[in-house]
Amino acid sequence: MDPLEAIKVTFFQECEEQLSELESGLLAMEQGETDSETVNAVFRAVHSIKGGAGAFSLEPLVRFAHVFETTLDDVRAGKLAPDNNVVKVMLRAADVLADHVRAARDGGVVEEARSQELAAALEALNGAAAPASIVSEDFDDMPGLDFTPLTVSDDDGFGDDFGFTPLAAGIIDLEPEGPALRRWTVQLRPKNALYAKANETGLLLRELKRLGDIEVSIDGSELPGLAELEPEHAYLSWTIVLTTDRSQSDIQEVFEFVDGDCDLTITADQLTSSLPMMGEASIDEPFDVMALIQQARADVQAAPAAAIMAEILAAPAPAPVFAASAPSVPAPAAATATAAAGVAPDAAHGAAAQQATIRVDLDRVDRLIDLVGELVINQAMLAQRVTESGVPRSSNIAMGLDDLEHLTREIQDSVMAIRAQPVKSVFQRMPRLVREVAAMTGKQVRLVTEGEGTEVDKTVIERLTDPITHMIRNAIDHGLERPEVRVAAGKGPEGTVRLSAAHRSGRIVIEVSDDGKGIDRPRVRQIAIDKGLIEVDSNLSDEDVDNLIFMPGFSTASSVSDISGRGVGMDVVKRSIQGLGGRIAITSRPGQGSTFTLSLPLTLAVLDGMVVSVCDHTLVAPLTAIIESLQPKAQDVRAIGPDAYVIAIRDTYTPLIDVGAMLGYRTTPLDPTKGVALLVEGEGGARAALMVDAIQGQRQVVIKSLEANYRQVEGIAAATILGDGRVALILDVDNVVAARRREKARSDAKLAAAG
Amino acid sequence: MTEPASASRLQLTENLDLKAAGPLRSELLTLRHTPLDLDASNVQRLGGLCLQVLMSAQATWAADAMPFAISSPSPAFQEALSLFGAEDLQPFVQQG
Repeated sequence: MDPLEAIKVTFFQECEEQLSELESGLLAMEQGETDSETVNAVFRAVHSIKGGAGAFSLEPLVRFAHVFETTLDDVRAGKLAPDNNVVKVMLRAADVLADHVRAARDGGVVEEARSQELAAALEALNGAAAPASIVSEDFDDMPGLDFTPLTVSDDDGFGDDFGFTPLAAGIIDLEPEGPALRRWTVQLRPKNALYAKANETGLLLRELKRLGDIEVSIDGSELPGLAELEPEHAYLSWTIVLTTDRSQSDIQEVFEFVDGDCDLTITADQLTSSLPMMGEASIDEPFDVMALIQQARADVQAAPAAAIMAEILAAPAPAPVFAASAPSVPAPAAATATAAAGVAPDAAHGAAAQQATIRVDLDRVDRLIDLVGELVINQAMLAQRVTESGVPRSSNIAMGLDDLEHLTREIQDSVMAIRAQPVKSVFQRMPRLVREVAAMTGKQVRLVTEGEGTEVDKTVIERLTDPITHMIRNAIDHGLERPEVRVAAGKGPEGTVRLSAAHRSGRIVIEVSDDGKGIDRPRVRQIAIDKGLIEVDSNLSDEDVDNLIFMPGFSTASSVSDISGRGVGMDVVKRSIQGLGGRIAITSRPGQGSTFTLSLPLTLAVLDGMVVSVCDHTLVAPLTAIIESLQPKAQDVRAIGPDAYVIAIRDTYTPLIDVGAMLGYRTTPLDPTKGVALLVEGEGGARAALMVDAIQGQRQVVIKSLEANYRQVEGIAAATILGDGRVALILDVDNVVAARRREKARSDAKLAAAG
Repeated sequence: MTEPASASRLQLTENLDLKAAGPLRSELLTLRHTPLDLDASNVQRLGGLCLQVLMSAQATWAADAMPFAISSPSPAFQEALSLFGAEDLQPFVQQG
């Protein structure tokens, strides 16, 4: 789909929302609720529709919305009392506006007579309101400048949201949203017109403040003495130093509503500037909206105006706003249109967009999920009570309970599905990132994405963008070689970065792989030694060396590059993934490339677990980590060292970890033959056998964060509430396996020191 | 110099937005050549135009060699000043 079309689709979805806002606001006004909040909401709805329609040159819609808005502005300014008569006209106008929206969307024409009749009625209401007529003239004078309506006032108050603004957001937010901070200098000189249109500099500054840290300095040198001062004239100008990770277009977006009414330059701090390609021209030369507009005015043709419009349109707003409010909207295929080869065209998208959807406040969904979690716990409690009461398994009660369990589970799955979203919204930002990074590094890169439709919980999706962005940057910057090096190595000049997502045993696995040079292990090792991260004589496996790049303070690029060397290393990626309950692993083959594998839970709310007992404590081991369980035989267990054991499972020796001893439940080790061993596999394929006293059963548990309620505990991932109301801890299998290895490394070191 | 007690004390209105700029200027002009103490305790909103008036007034009073102070600033007023980067006014703001 054409990107503009995709935006249009979203615009119309937004329109529907605005229309219903409008209607409910007007109905409230009819009931006598004429406070400024309601009036402002109504005004904003119409204003937003007009602004968006202007962007798409939907002339009839803009024209009607403009008349409507003018009337509403009078109401807002207190010039027109919203009595019943007025509200009635407005309600009818709202219907016509809805017709206009639908006509614009589906093609067709609104009955001109009706539209004009309403427009006339509205105009009759507002009479000869001065500001409105000025705007009208402006508007009529410049038929080529479709975006004029955008500059119309919005002075509803500080910190107010700009109605339609979020729309541009989620859709075309293709800017790399890396965590890198950049300093921008914004010079702002409001003109009289800015205030005349009831815009407010303070609001702009506040918007900027939302983007990052700002240092504002004011220039009052043009300010006359009080006697000479024209209260409505603008004398002050501001210089704002903004430190943000947002893109230039995000900053420009702030000024979208005032873009003819102030002199504006936005310059990137030279030291840290690194916006490639698209941004380049406008960074080096100050971006002067006014100049552009004057140029357009001088040459009132549709073409330049459209070009500017496209530029303004291309300015993304903070994406999360939109994402949060529109969980059900399939992200448009803006990126795929221009994406690198190999991206499957999304035929289903068009159809999906037409499906009836409702938007629901996320809090409600969360509450529902929470309640279902309680239901699951309650159901488990009930089941336990029934078992305890000695009711036979075949009784009606027990069978009814089984049904209830199925039902509960189904409800749970369905509720979780509400929050599930395809990872596409994240993936589709990547092609542009790849192009930009490729251009900066002078490498040829092809991005291949797979499994865009893979669904995962929204909370997980939101936090995926940064790590993936970072890994892709890394893959291109550090992984892929320059074309000539590739050719010399017998590869094609074009490198491939593969981004894939798939469901695997109840988790989502995301892989970022490249076919570059792989990890330069000797160098990684040397850097780690230089930085004091490891001992000079450490004996590390290849895998251990690869994992060094996740250590805090590690950076392989010998020269800090613009792209990935911004002081944010893979350790940050690892931490953010771990924060999601996920793991990151790396495999690398010299000369053939590296693969980063992220494995994340589909949801952060429930878990299938094996309930086990250890020293009278009940623990839960995540089922996904368990390969098998067995009762060790005495001859299979071998002691290595004073308190370390291995167990032979099908001719392979696996470390045997006494969970009770590890967690400090007991001091004397459990006799392996008296317990049960759970063979588990951690991320990266490391296996271990966990010794527990007994297995109680398999159960779905609702995860309650231990960190949120208590604090993080080594070896424990979270907690849950069991059927009998007791708290059970959920084992962090990877951590347990890794802890065992660390211990081993320490005792090895001790031995080495002793020997 | 005049004692602070005899200073004209002007209560700034709650909403110093665009529409307030004109009235504020006229009001201040009537108090010209008297020591001025502006009470900002009620201010909930300060817009760019009123900021101009205040800054201009401060400069004017300074040129007239008259005391000029802004007292009991509300948190909103303080916050707006720092948002605007209005360093010129800060020294005249007195906590109270």
